[in-house]
Amino acid sequence: MSSDNPRATATIGGHPIHPMLVPFPIACFVGTFITDCVYWKTANMLWADMSAWLLTAGLVASVFVAIAGLTDFLGDRRIRSLRPAWVHGVGNALVLILSIFNELVHTRDAYTSVVPTGLILSGIVVLILLVTGWNGWAMVYRHGVGVRREDDR
Amino acid sequence: MTPLRVVVCATAALGIVACGPAPIDPRRQIGAHPYLPPIHQYLLPPMRIANIVPWGNATPTVPKGLTIRALATELKNPRSLYVLPNGDILVVESGGPKGPVNRPKEFVMNWLEQQAHSRTTPGNRIVLLRDANGDGVPELRTVFLDYLNSPFGVVLVGNDLYVADTDAVMHYRYRTGQTRITDPGEKLCDLPGGPIDHHWTKSLTASPDGSKLYAGVGSNSNITENGIQAELDRASVWEIDRATGMHRLFATGLRNPNGLQFEPKTHVLWAVVNERDELGPDLVPDYLTSVKDGGFYGWPYSYYGRHLDPRVQPQRPDLVARAIVPDYALSSHVAPLGLVFYTGTNLPPKYRGGAFVGEHGSWDRTVFNGYKVVFVPFADGRPSGMAQDVVTGFLSGDDARGRPVALAIDSRGALLIADDAGNAVWRVTASGS
Repeated sequence: MSSDNPRATATIGGHPIHPMLVPFPIACFVGTFITDCVYWKTANMLWADMSAWLLTAGLVASVFVAIAGLTDFLGDRRIRSLRPAWVHGVGNALVLILSIFNELVHTRDAYTSVVPTGLILSGIVVLILLVTGWNGWAMVYRHGVGVRREDDR
Repeated sequence: MTPLRVVVCATAALGIVACGPAPIDPRRQIGAHPYLPPIHQYLLPPMRIANIVPWGNATPTVPKGLTIRALATELKNPRSLYVLPNGDILVVESGGPKGPVNRPKEFVMNWLEQQAHSRTTPGNRIVLLRDANGDGVPELRTVFLDYLNSPFGVVLVGNDLYVADTDAVMHYRYRTGQTRITDPGEKLCDLPGGPIDHHWTKSLTASPDGSKLYAGVGSNSNITENGIQAELDRASVWEIDRATGMHRLFATGLRNPNGLQFEPKTHVLWAVVNERDELGPDLVPDYLTSVKDGGFYGWPYSYYGRHLDPRVQPQRPDLVARAIVPDYALSSHVAPLGLVFYTGTNLPPKYRGGAFVGEHGSWDRTVFNGYKVVFVPFADGRPSGMAQDVVTGFLSGDDARGRPVALAIDSRGALLIADDAGNAVWRVTASGS
């Protein structure tokens, strides 16, 4: 094992920012898929409105998450040499692009703002998030990215 | 560069700007049998919003034989007109109420709508103009009725004056020659108002015998995106009993009916109707139609008869089965808000008995449509032939100097046009009269 873990560059008081922010877009995008499904089944506009807000909030949060993540990625060569970092980064870039399109689909009025295109895009995003999330956790829990070792103290 | 153009260019740079069908010649959609292209739903619908610039010394343009000049300027959002029997002209200065923001999209839409309207704060009052000698220069201009709630329609029956605020029909006593009403009036009946009040202009007219009032109540959304429960009693023409204030839905499925008028020969009720957006530059054509008692005209489930709108769920096949095809298409997104049958004698004979339509103008189309007053010839109480441009010149390149709304005929037979973006009332007469 190397003497030191890959370091996070974007930190507050030594705490990496990226893992603190990352739950927000994940929760928003998973939530979008759920409210899309409920709207699909009920055609009650309340749920489509919820989807539109969740998606918008997820996109706004994603910007900050992406900046922090990209800073870490560019800040330490050892992170860039990890395969999970590439899967995580490229996958989440795809999530961002698909969600921008999904946001536009969700600006349509009434049923076709969700069914079928919005619902399908929300579903694909959740599937990608499963992969990118798994790889993100691998970076921290297997490769110790941003984790300070006991003997560093 | 205006902020709007920055936004449009930025989205174009992202490569996601509307890829869709090119707009067709609007003339293909005028008349009884409009061409209806396939539906196109966008990622980002095409939008083109006119910047509002002042008229300066310019005026709208009229064909040879007609003359146009301003009857009044520096008004506060004049939207509607009514001519009293003594010739006094009522100008309704009005603006829509502010609604709640239910979706992120509405932030953008509200901002875009602001760009297309005059910066003047609407008066929400009625101004009286008196031009007793008919020279087109009012001798008197005074506030007739103040502190109204987004008023639009006005009608006088005998000595009873009715004003359709956005949330109620108000009743006032009127004496011939009166120039100001200070009485608070009384409510004849409620109309669907806020908190969501999407199409807020309530057009008003009276039956020829004066016993009933008819109010146009527009839908509360483009296409049910505020929920079907928000559409209760909307997208309809109400028939209101003048004696009791009780009402029934006279006709339904009319997305935003305005300019309610009885055709003078046949005494049939007519309206101009604003159809739905975001299905393409040429869907759905706005129209002029007779309004049949008990008739259903499609909205929201279908358009032009049985053309289903995929955005509406659950559907109502029972209603769609009896959806009436409107009488006369005016082409898409022209936004007709004014209608008047020409009953005067000042204008050339070819206009007599036909209908003038005030087209406020498009915003969701890359090529402007509307922004003019057109004439639809009538024969035996039915439209008979192609619409003709009568008053144009509201547009100047990417800018709009004005936007025509409601129309009226004054006591001398001149055509009056309320211009809410130009804050003026225009008066069209025969040249040399």
